Amino acid sequence: MRDRLSFYILRESPIHRMNPLTKLTLVFSLILLAFLGPVEWLAILLFTTVILPLSFLAHVGREFLSATARLLLPVIGFLFVMQSIFLPGGGTALVQVWVLDITLENVNIAFVNATRILTMISSFLLLLLTTHPSALMSDLARRGVPGPISYTVTSTLQILPQMQVKAATIMDAQRARGLETQGNLMKRIRALLPLVAPLVFGSLVDVEERAIAIEARAFNSPRQKTSLVEIDDRPIDRRIRWGLILVVIFLLGSRLWLK
Amino acid sequence: MAQVTINNLTYTYPLTEEPALREISIEIQAGEFLAVIGANGAGKTTLCYTLSGFIPHFFRGELQGKILIDGLDTANSKLYEIVEKVGLAFQNPFNQISGSKFTVYEEIAFGLENLGLPRDEIRSRVEWILALTGIEDLAERSPYALSGGQQQKVALASILVMKPGVLVLDEPTSQLDPIGTREVFQVIRSLAHSGQTIILAEHKMEWIAEFADRVLVLDKGEIVRLGTPQQVLSDINLLSSGIGLSRYTRVAHRVNQQKLWPKGQRYPISLQEATEAFGRLLSQEGGSKK
Repeated sequence: MRDRLSFYILRESPIHRMNPLTKLTLVFSLILLAFLGPVEWLAILLFTTVILPLSFLAHVGREFLSATARLLLPVIGFLFVMQSIFLPGGGTALVQVWVLDITLENVNIAFVNATRILTMISSFLLLLLTTHPSALMSDLARRGVPGPISYTVTSTLQILPQMQVKAATIMDAQRARGLETQGNLMKRIRALLPLVAPLVFGSLVDVEERAIAIEARAFNSPRQKTSLVEIDDRPIDRRIRWGLILVVIFLLGSRLWLK
Repeated sequence: MAQVTINNLTYTYPLTEEPALREISIEIQAGEFLAVIGANGAGKTTLCYTLSGFIPHFFRGELQGKILIDGLDTANSKLYEIVEKVGLAFQNPFNQISGSKFTVYEEIAFGLENLGLPRDEIRSRVEWILALTGIEDLAERSPYALSGGQQQKVALASILVMKPGVLVLDEPTSQLDPIGTREVFQVIRSLAHSGQTIILAEHKMEWIAEFADRVLVLDKGEIVRLGTPQQVLSDINLLSSGIGLSRYTRVAHRVNQQKLWPKGQRYPISLQEATEAFGRLLSQEGGSKK
C-alpha cells in the first residue's frame, strides 16, 4: 500500500546519489529550455539526449519508459487529435477527414507541444523514480523551505492511499445497506453523495486529531529543526547546479539576443 | 512541590453553555500513576487536553483556574513549551501517525527532529525507546502497514522518545483488541515501574486496579471520588455514575444481594483479590457444612 503513490525505486546509481536539489534544478532547467528555448525541436532533443540516457544511467530505464508511456500516451494522443483537427488557419492539407482538414502546420504544432509535455512530465518522473520523497523534503526543509510546506507534500503522498482505503470501506458499508453503486451514469452519480459526505466529514475529524498529534510532537516549536537522514551535497552537486543555471541563462538569453 | 497542580479549574468549550469541567482541584506527585475514570462525556478527554495544554491553546473556550506543570503555568505559556513537558497519546492510533514519515524509525524521530536534537542523540534515543517499547522489529516497516496495537505502541514510543516529565494517555486502548490492549498495557506497566508520572483516562477497570496509585472519578465534569483503587473501585455506588465496574466487583455485589457476602468486607477489584475473597467464602461454607 505504501508504495502506491511513491514512484521511488531504490537502486545504486550516480543519479540516486545526486543531491535532490540538483535533480530538482535539472528538472526545472529542462522544462524552461523545452518551453522557452531558442528552437522548437530542443524539447525532443533534450528528451532523447538527456532524459532518456539519464534514466538508463540511473538503472531505472525500463520503469521510466513504461511509466512515461502509461502517463503520456493518452494525453499526447488526445492533444494530437484536438490540435491537428481544431487549430484554425489554413495550410498544406495532409488528409481530409469529413469536413476537416488536417494540415501539416497543425500536426507540427501538435508535435512540438507533445514533446514539450513529454519533457516536462518525464523529467519529473525521473526525479521521482530516483529520489525518496522524504529525502527531497528534508533537503528542502534544511534549505529553508517552511516545515508546513514539506509536511503537506509528504503527508499527502501517505494519506491519499489511506483515503482510498477509507472510501472503499464507506462504499462497502453503503452497499451493504442497499445503495446501488453499479449501473448507468445517473445511478453512479447518485451513489456518490452517500460516499462523499462521510468521507469528507470523517476526514475533517481526522485532520483535527492529526493536528493535535503533530503539535504534541513539537511540530510548531521555534527551535531549528534537525534531520535524521543525512543528505549528501557534494561539491560536484553545487557545480552541476551552477552549470545548469548558466546553460539556461545562456540559451534563453541567446533567444532574446538573436531576435 | 507537586509536579502537576490543578487549582479550581473550570472550562467551557466554545459555543456551549455548560462547563465541561467544574472546579477541578488536584495535585499529582512526580512518579504517581493517576487513573481517571467516568462515563462518556464526563470530561475525561477534556481533562487530558487541559493537562497537555491543548486547552486553551488549541481549543479556545473559557478557562478559569490554574494549571501548573513543573511550575509552568499552562494558560500563560506557549503550546510548544508545554509539549516538551507533557506528552499526550490518545485513542485513535491511526491519527497519531504523523503521515510524513515512511518508516517507524523515522516516525519516532519526528518529534526529536522538531526539537532540533543532533543526529547522534536522535539515533540513540530512538533506539532506546524501540527497545523499551519492544518494537525493534518494526523499525523499518511503514507506520501504516501495522496492526492497531502496533500503531498505538509506535504512537506511544513517538511521544515517550521526547522524554516528557508527565505522560497523559487518553483511552489508549479503546480501539484495540484484547491482544493489542495487553501489549500496550505492558508498555505502560514498565513505564510506571520506571517512575514515569502517568495520567491515564481509561475504562478498563481490571488494568486500573493493577497499576494506579490513585483513581479519580469524574461525573458531569466534577470530581466525585478520589482515592486508592481499593477504596474507589470497590464502591458499587459508582454504577450510578455510568461506570462499569470490574466483573469481580459485580459478582461480589450479586453475592451480597443474596445475603451471602460477609458483612463489612470490601468487594474485590482484581483477580487476585477475588480469588482470595471467594476462596475464604467457600472454605467457610465448607467448614459450616461439616
